[in-house]
Amino acid sequence: MTGQDTIRSTPVTRMASLAGTGAKVGINYLKHYGRRALGQESTSLDEENAQTIFKTFSELKGGPLKLAQMLSIDQNLLPTAYAKQFAQAQYSAPPLSYPLVAKTFRREFGSNPLTIFDEFTREAIHGASIGQVHRAQKWGKTLAVKVQYPGVAESLRSDLRIVKPFALQVLGLRESDIAAYISEIETKLLEETNYLLERTRAEQIASACGDIPNIRFVNYYPEICSGKILTMDWIEGITLDQFADGNADQEARDQVGQALWDFYDRQVHTMRLFHADPHPGNFLVRKGEVWVLDFGCTKEITADFHSKQFRFVDPGLLEDEQALIEALEALDVLLSTDSASDRAQIMASCRQWLGLLAAPFHAEIFDFGDENFLREIYELGEENRRDKLMRNLRGRRGSPDTIYVNRAFFGLYSLLSRLRARVKTTKPS
Amino acid sequence: MELRDQIMGAYADHLREHGAPPATVFKFVQGLSIDERSFFSEFPNFDAVESALWKGMVQRVAQAVSGGDEWIGFSARQRVLTFLFAFCEESLAWRSLLLLRVGKCGPLSRAAHVKGLETGFKEFMGPVIEHGMASGEIVGRGPLTNTYPEVFYLHFRAVIDFHLKDDSAGYERTDALIEKSVALAFDLLGKQAVDSAFDLAKFVFVRPT
Repeated sequence: MTGQDTIRSTPVTRMASLAGTGAKVGINYLKHYGRRALGQESTSLDEENAQTIFKTFSELKGGPLKLAQMLSIDQNLLPTAYAKQFAQAQYSAPPLSYPLVAKTFRREFGSNPLTIFDEFTREAIHGASIGQVHRAQKWGKTLAVKVQYPGVAESLRSDLRIVKPFALQVLGLRESDIAAYISEIETKLLEETNYLLERTRAEQIASACGDIPNIRFVNYYPEICSGKILTMDWIEGITLDQFADGNADQEARDQVGQALWDFYDRQVHTMRLFHADPHPGNFLVRKGEVWVLDFGCTKEITADFHSKQFRFVDPGLLEDEQALIEALEALDVLLSTDSASDRAQIMASCRQWLGLLAAPFHAEIFDFGDENFLREIYELGEENRRDKLMRNLRGRRGSPDTIYVNRAFFGLYSLLSRLRARVKTTKPS
Repeated sequence: MELRDQIMGAYADHLREHGAPPATVFKFVQGLSIDERSFFSEFPNFDAVESALWKGMVQRVAQAVSGGDEWIGFSARQRVLTFLFAFCEESLAWRSLLLLRVGKCGPLSRAAHVKGLETGFKEFMGPVIEHGMASGEIVGRGPLTNTYPEVFYLHFRAVIDFHLKDDSAGYERTDALIEKSVALAFDLLGKQAVDSAFDLAKFVFVRPT
């Protein structure tokens, strides 16, 4: 039970730990400027800061970890160096003690885990940000049992409250910039604590996407599922990033990449309900097939919003000034109150973005292995982040729904780039 | 039913029903159709009855958890956690009594009527602490070691107090408190930098004569 030695338990120690981060970031700046004064070559300041911050966030669980993950997905909001560090935040979390797991079982099902299962691991096998996974045996099958931390909904709220001002300061963001994010994050986080909803969504998506080649879904066992506990098949496989960084050949990479693309195509354009948390830890690869895990974060969009949002993949749009203006106004990216010069700048920036982000839709077969593609996205994001006007606009324009569409596509693009996959892309009809 | 249990049961019912102890033993025994002599042959006063009541409750929980299949394999930390979770679960059956008699007097009270909580709990903790010391989870610190049962008892009372004031759904905050505070307790009781510092200081400053 050494797992708990590293828990930052009280709000006070959490505060202390975050305050420590602030101090360390300050020191990194001093070091940086010191080095510059001495005429030495400066190392990447962002990178050093990112490591310091990441170290702190990974010692906290729940809210801060989630916040870090969410911000890391939207490359637009954070410098690349930070985003890379935060992307690692996906696997760590401290375990619950076994007696508390047993108590949760007694409360949900009236008996101990060992009464329900033939075997049940006392230690958690994986941590997640709001729960942990144990391995169990029953009916001759190996099962994965996800148990939620008690009181997690409330602690998420209080964590976010404590962490928000610090995080904003340390990351150099302003609250108004990301107000829409924070409230969406809160709503979605609370939704994630409802395991019954997660199961419903998972089954909905699985039944609508079951025929897509090479995409697989796990079975749930409803009799051992509740609002706090989920029981499903245990899948042996490697996570998508392990697969991508391993020595799989191009054909295998293409197959996995194609499966992911088709999966998102079906969800976003046909179901308009999608898995909005595409980070590599949520996908396992086994024998060339992709198993989709964790439907805690899903997003539903309306047909109306979908048609507005995906007008942008029409290649003719960039040529047609008037149509582009209409499309941007429909999404509240352009407002009628904008001055002419602001309008021009926003239009120019949107053209650049669209040219880049819609590129995969326009190609017959798109090669995500092209390093320039993702780098250009990062660079453009970086440029926008530094630009005063664009920064002022951030978070105040557009529908909050855009956050999750962006998150899904940024996530998908970075997964595919990591895979270096070549994908036959499809457009919404 | 034995007379002793009969008296304890009737006393618990009276407290829950009337919210206060009976005015006199004379009045109380009338409901039981026994005489005062029989009462006083079992208990010297009402406080002793109540104390025995609490002790019995702690003992029942302790027996239930330590009789489980998994108990043998549990570490001391897991044993403490299991007991506290079970106690809070079990106490829902007599929460009104706990609120009335323990909640009102606060976590630091040593009142005679709650003495049984202490004796029952310390009897349970003795072997658990020994188990923890044998496995190295708990480090002996000379005379300080004797205060460990007291420290755990104060923690137990603090948990009860928190549980009684907890208004979260399903008393989830109590679960979190137990989990976190027991983790802290065992972190403090395990080997720490201060132990090594003490050892070094002894080496540097105290010379054998």
